[in-house]
Amino acid sequence: MNKFSWYEATSKVEAQREANSTVSETIQPDADPEAAVFKASGIDLLDLMKEGLSKPAKLVSIRNIPGMDEVSYNKEKGLRLGANVTLAGITANPQIKKNYLALHQAASHAATPPIRNMATLAGNLVQRTHCWYFRSKELVCFRKGSSTCFAHVGENENHAIMSYGYCVSIHSSSLAIALTAFDAIVEITDKNGKIKLVPMKEFFVLPSVDRTRETILKPAELITAVILPEPKTHTVSYYIKMGSRRSQDWPMAEVAVVAGLSGEKCKTANVVLGAAAPVPFISKAAIDAITGKTINETTATAAGEAAMQIAVPLSKNGYKIPVFKTIIKRAILSLGKPPENVIDWALPDRIH
Amino acid sequence: MKYKRKKPKTEKTGRISRRGFLKGAGITAAGTVLAGSGVLKLQAQTEEKDKTLGPDAVNIKIKVNGHVRQLSIEPRTTLADALRKELQLTGVKVGCNRGACSACTVWIDGIPVLSCMTLAVEVGDKEVTTIEGLAKDDRLNPVQEAFMEHDATQCGFCTSGMIMTATHLLEHNPSPTEKDVKVALSGNFCRCGTHPKVFDAILDAARKM
Amino acid sequence: MKKVKLPYGIPDYNLTEIVREIPNAEPPALPVNSKLKVIGKRVKRTDALAKVTGTAVFTADVYLPGMLYGKMFRADIPHARIKSIDVSAAKAHPGVFAIHIFKEMIEGANPKENNKKSGYPEVKYAGQPIVGVAAISMDIAEEAVNLIRVEYEPLEFVVDMDDARKPEAPLVYQTNVNQETSSGGEDIEEGLKSRGNVRGPATKSFYGGPRGNLKKGFAEADVIIERTYRTQVQTHCPLETHGVVVDYNRGNVTIYASTQSTKGTRNDFAKTFDLPKSKVRVISEFIGGGFGAKHTLGNFGVMAGHLSKQSGRPVKLMLDRKEEHVSAGNRPNSLQLMKVGAKKDGTLTALKLLSYGTAGVGLGSGVGNIAQAMYECPNFKMDQYDVFTNAGPGAAFRAPGNVQGAFALEQLIDELAERLDVDPLQLREKIDKSTIRKVQRERGTQLMNWKKPKKAGSDPGPVKKGIGVAQAHWPRFVNLDSTVEVRVMQDGAVEVRSAVQDIGTGTKTVLAQVVAEELGLKSADITVLIGDTLFPIGPPSGGSVVTGSITPPARNAAHKVKTKLIDLAAGELDTKAENIVVENSWFISKSDRSKKISFKNLAGKLRVEQITETASRSDDYGGFMIGTVGYEELGAVQFAEVSVDTETGFVKVDRIMAVHSCGRPINISQIESQINGGVIMGIAYALYEDRVMDKNTGHQMNPNLDQYKMPFSFEVPEIQIELIEEYGARSSTDATGIGEPANIATAAAVANAVYNAIGVRMTEIPITPARILAALGKI
Repeated sequence: MNKFSWYEATSKVEAQREANSTVSETIQPDADPEAAVFKASGIDLLDLMKEGLSKPAKLVSIRNIPGMDEVSYNKEKGLRLGANVTLAGITANPQIKKNYLALHQAASHAATPPIRNMATLAGNLVQRTHCWYFRSKELVCFRKGSSTCFAHVGENENHAIMSYGYCVSIHSSSLAIALTAFDAIVEITDKNGKIKLVPMKEFFVLPSVDRTRETILKPAELITAVILPEPKTHTVSYYIKMGSRRSQDWPMAEVAVVAGLSGEKCKTANVVLGAAAPVPFISKAAIDAITGKTINETTATAAGEAAMQIAVPLSKNGYKIPVFKTIIKRAILSLGKPPENVIDWALPDRIH
Repeated sequence: MKYKRKKPKTEKTGRISRRGFLKGAGITAAGTVLAGSGVLKLQAQTEEKDKTLGPDAVNIKIKVNGHVRQLSIEPRTTLADALRKELQLTGVKVGCNRGACSACTVWIDGIPVLSCMTLAVEVGDKEVTTIEGLAKDDRLNPVQEAFMEHDATQCGFCTSGMIMTATHLLEHNPSPTEKDVKVALSGNFCRCGTHPKVFDAILDAARKM
Repeated sequence: MKKVKLPYGIPDYNLTEIVREIPNAEPPALPVNSKLKVIGKRVKRTDALAKVTGTAVFTADVYLPGMLYGKMFRADIPHARIKSIDVSAAKAHPGVFAIHIFKEMIEGANPKENNKKSGYPEVKYAGQPIVGVAAISMDIAEEAVNLIRVEYEPLEFVVDMDDARKPEAPLVYQTNVNQETSSGGEDIEEGLKSRGNVRGPATKSFYGGPRGNLKKGFAEADVIIERTYRTQVQTHCPLETHGVVVDYNRGNVTIYASTQSTKGTRNDFAKTFDLPKSKVRVISEFIGGGFGAKHTLGNFGVMAGHLSKQSGRPVKLMLDRKEEHVSAGNRPNSLQLMKVGAKKDGTLTALKLLSYGTAGVGLGSGVGNIAQAMYECPNFKMDQYDVFTNAGPGAAFRAPGNVQGAFALEQLIDELAERLDVDPLQLREKIDKSTIRKVQRERGTQLMNWKKPKKAGSDPGPVKKGIGVAQAHWPRFVNLDSTVEVRVMQDGAVEVRSAVQDIGTGTKTVLAQVVAEELGLKSADITVLIGDTLFPIGPPSGGSVVTGSITPPARNAAHKVKTKLIDLAAGELDTKAENIVVENSWFISKSDRSKKISFKNLAGKLRVEQITETASRSDDYGGFMIGTVGYEELGAVQFAEVSVDTETGFVKVDRIMAVHSCGRPINISQIESQINGGVIMGIAYALYEDRVMDKNTGHQMNPNLDQYKMPFSFEVPEIQIELIEEYGARSSTDATGIGEPANIATAAAVANAVYNAIGVRMTEIPITPARILAALGKI
């Protein structure tokens, strides 16, 4: 890693005064050599630094700012998760498991147990894409300032099948998939201490809008919490991720479904796909396919089919289409119950 | 499907407890030692700024296996490097140096974390436990015993991480199922393929504990 | 020479005795394991305590006073001539003590294509080392490496094997090339010519060349099947990467090395630096895995030597994970075109193999010896081609060639059985003449409750189950350059010394057991000091050669010591040596059992501080040998049960039954551990692992452990192991290794089971969801 100095912030104000850049900016060719960036757990940041992609001059630790790892509940505002709550903290939280099952599932399938003990909610949201061209020090890709997306004509088996422009990377946060499905809101404290509430679906940025970053965060803007609105009565959810392995793996495809049920009937629904697009992808087609319908094999299958209508796979990732169709169907059919007769993807609920 | 309607409740779910961070850290970065008249005034002016450590080596204190040690390290030094190189705790193994193999697993305040993805400077006064700190008074812990008994080592390079993970599991779940064991170990890479014996050892240690 | 009766055959099957004429110095026959106390038991590893407490010191853990850290600048393009190298900024960087620029590469084939003008070696793959730096910390070494500027003349490159075979492909090498075979067991035929990037064909192996007449064989066939199979490049990924600490300047050169061959590392270093072997000492007490890739000194070792020599300080140079993937060896891929002809009754009439494989800039991609040797077939021919690509050199990898070969051969035989409408085990019964595999098939059939597999793909529902079986063949290699010293000290301590190394297989423990058995002690009474070339030289850890090679000298040396102690005891007990028996650490007079002396007390009577005996070994008994290959083979049979989710393409291995034998088993639990490891590695080969090279840039896209898919806890199925004792009267211990056979059949068994589940043959691995879905017509 490059040499850097270290600043341990004890308040948001202090942290925001010290930081002058974002991790994404440090990856660009015009990176400020004096860049100071936030570090919470820093799993992704250290990974980028060890590869030599990011070379900030200063790390500003926000890990120990009081209050940032708190979970609170308020019936008007819903569940407020502090930005520094760990993935293990989310997994272990019984309220989340009971009321936001898909988030619990997404958190317990992400990374590895020791990483879940370290990694924070906000860090998971702002991690950069794991596109392997982007992650290679030797290759300067489109997102890093060149005019070439290597994946477009290269090894694109892990890449996007929809909603991409020239860059075909996929977004890497599994938590974002579940949070988007729950209509979560990102609480951002800007440089002046002003709080902005941004719906999760507006938080991420497509590369066709700005290829240099994946979120709307500007320098010194700090995610302070993520707020989950209180679920309406009879809201159920389910998340399925498929990787090449059952142990730790990046998803080949993942889906979170949140639905308001009235008996067998689906009143409201949200279907969000991960590992499909450069940002969490809200499948309007899948939502329409089940909203107002009875949940059964036919409607669930139709939702999967509908969701994939707009998919335009690349040379090596056509397999994602049947996988998505299947996991969308299964997630919908699993709402409120565990899946049957499929290879058991679910891991135990208790994470130590 | 509803919350119990109680008054708003605050709870801490971050698993690594917060404590006075960096209490033991050195006061200034090298090269900012202040001397002579006017020091007090200068200090007052730069009090906030002085919190910046490095980029050159700084003195920190770190509590490892029950002992407080003083180290001079750069902020970029990982905990794994500090433990291995400075403190000669080479039972901590670095397999990938990128958080993907868990060989470097240590405990911070009792929680398994990756020492290759942790900076030494951020440990503060939390307690670090390594494989060298598991045996008390030269008595092995039951997991270590079981690993020996069940031939749960081959080359031995992943063993430290496996044992740190497994011991933590059993301390929090005294009667795990095989699936619980697999979940706990789902980040620990073993190229020799010792897993079946590792599972046996852990389940047996649980029975004996 | 003397005649000795030795156990021969398989207990509960055909165990008998055989008379062999053996050298007089060899110890008496060792009875079968059921009559022994230490050998053949589950003995705790002698180094288990060090491993579970973190006190085992691997090369990565060596920190010497004044030690510097080495790091190499590596080519970031795959093919180029180096025009100039500027190290001035790196040299001026504070903390840098030495810089060395490679003049030649020692890895891969023909390393000497240097730029005529600049004199630097040509860059032939992305990640090839060019310059090395030694500095006071790794961070500073990395900073200095980042300051090095290399000016290239980029050349066209090719990383894809199929592309490299085309006539218009850019040439990796301009001339015909050769490469020495490592001690890992890969088979490289010398002197073959290249056309373009394609070298060969290699038509011979240590089993010889073609047999019979293919044309005639196929003409006689009732059934002919022709298929094409593909396997991927697999990287070794030992958890401890390759690396050394070289201390050049304090008297003799001392090298701490993570190596599978202390001898090889010493000899490579002595040769490279023009030193007598006696001036180079290699120490490898603990090695974090190797799997075939750690047989040679490597470019990194040479570099560390230069940096240490130049700086006058010890230099540590461990590869990082990325360097390990791109430059430290791999299992070459394969494209295998196989054609088999058979009679209606299953008798094979002809077997033909045409194979291509790329070991990048190296050689050794042959796959044919399993097809050549496993089944009886009078007409056989193989044409094996190495294809050069601009990728890191291959290396021996756990059963080199046979893992790839078995994947193809065992699916082909399975398909033949189906075509002939016989149980795949019955067909093998017909064409396989190996006695040991016959017994293995019988045991496996019972334990699996095996019946002829149901019709492929006939399960209802989206998740389909399948069963499959495959067999392994590995030659029984013996390394006669194996010597052991046994010492007994006046306090009763017993020490075993050999330069042989333990890469995790349990060699230390096996030596302790053999010596303990001979001396009537417990294995815990024996101190084993190995992995140091100051001790008598031992074999490299490769090719499943160690146990068969090193245990006979250990027993022989222990026997020599015992003979001396018996003489001493005879004096003490006032009887004749012939009248002494050794039991449970006592030397006892047979005629008067009250007359006895303990091992410890007897040692106290030694006239000198210690007695020491060194022994090598005779050739294997019974006139074995085809080169270094012993008679009979290491066979195995593995069964697999899988579930395939036909909607997602996901494959899960539910169970593996591994039926194995390795001569006389020495340590049951260690053997099981190695079999588990081979099976898990085989599953990962079948389903997950794949080195992904980007054709357009020439870089590996997954040189890490999160995108290069390794098996973790949930990828491990239920593994059942059935171990069959088998006595061949081959040596004073009659033991052999197990590392290779454990890894050979698994991928093929899994592939056969997947076929049985879904009814479509997966002829290419890894069997990913994408490939399953494509095979099922769902993409």
